[in-house]
Amino acid sequence: MQINLKIFRYLPDSGNKPHYDKYVMEVNPTDRVLDVLEQVRADNDPSLAYRRSCAHGVCGSDAMQINGHNALACKVLVKDLDSTDITIEPLRGLNVLRDLIVDMEPFFDHFRSVQPYFINDSELPADGKERLQSPTERERFDDTTKCILCAACTSSCPSFWADGKYVGPAAIVNAHRFIYDSRDTAATERLEIMNEATGVWRCRTIFNCTEACPRDIKITKAIAEVKKAIITGKLEN
Amino acid sequence: MSSFKTTMIGYVGYRGREGQISFLLHRITGLGTALFLTIHILDTSLVYFFPQLYSHAIDVYRTTAFGIGEIALVFSVLFHGVNGLRVAYVDLIAPKLWTIPKSRSSVRWTLAVTLILWLPAAGIMLYNILRHNYGLFGG
Repeated sequence: MQINLKIFRYLPDSGNKPHYDKYVMEVNPTDRVLDVLEQVRADNDPSLAYRRSCAHGVCGSDAMQINGHNALACKVLVKDLDSTDITIEPLRGLNVLRDLIVDMEPFFDHFRSVQPYFINDSELPADGKERLQSPTERERFDDTTKCILCAACTSSCPSFWADGKYVGPAAIVNAHRFIYDSRDTAATERLEIMNEATGVWRCRTIFNCTEACPRDIKITKAIAEVKKAIITGKLEN
Repeated sequence: MSSFKTTMIGYVGYRGREGQISFLLHRITGLGTALFLTIHILDTSLVYFFPQLYSHAIDVYRTTAFGIGEIALVFSVLFHGVNGLRVAYVDLIAPKLWTIPKSRSSVRWTLAVTLILWLPAAGIMLYNILRHNYGLFGG
């Protein structure tokens, strides 16, 4: 099939303004958008810059805006776009370093700010081995363990576009993962971070993040659970 | 790119679903209502400061353009109110609605309720414009 491809191009300090390069290409309907980008780089322009690593939806490197919607380029088939006109742009709300590559550092700063690691300074169990957890307790935060930090959710959020200080959906998802872990003891501290002006209250419950998540994490639900925990002071199951 | 420009381009260019559309409508109708309230407070204050100008302001309100604006204003107030109740209900009371399909459905219901409330009011207001400004319906 023939497609009309438009790709955002920008190289800071080059003197050129941001613009779109256009290509008319022959591709297979079952090609992924990442395959199309590879084809452009191989056949048309080797200077095209984008991130990719595993190419199988696991590493989260190639999140970008495809026809106005955030997704991983390696998980979207050309035939599923329902259009032969394809526009590819970098993630919104993060500064473009070059072409489709954005500066992920502010995103990772927000991730770090929620203490996304296990905290428990109490004594180990008597056998000196692991802290046990029931399957039900593990199930409570299973969904939010799936985050791959691709930033598709955070950069689809209008609240984040308007104010980059908002921690964003991905950071809240990772806070949720530890807040609801029965073995962790720092839920109160994380809820305090979430209760700040840059925390969960910036969420407007519009579900863009949940729609964009390539791992189908129920992000808005996780955010709502954190909001409820702050209001009630309880971690409900 | 500034946050403002990023946000505005995102509002228009990002293809969100019902949630984003209701979010944008909520903002637009909120701003529209706030604008009207500001104008209304200013024109009412004319009664005290400049009584002659107040009569003129009322005449301006009776023009067709303002009449159509008031029909839009009623839609704004109704949508903003109904959607505000929906957001509060979803956020604080109804965890069962924290899913994409139910969220989409709740937005569609919000729009339907708004239209059911708005259409009769819009009809009456339009009738009055046609009657008083154009002499129709025996006016």
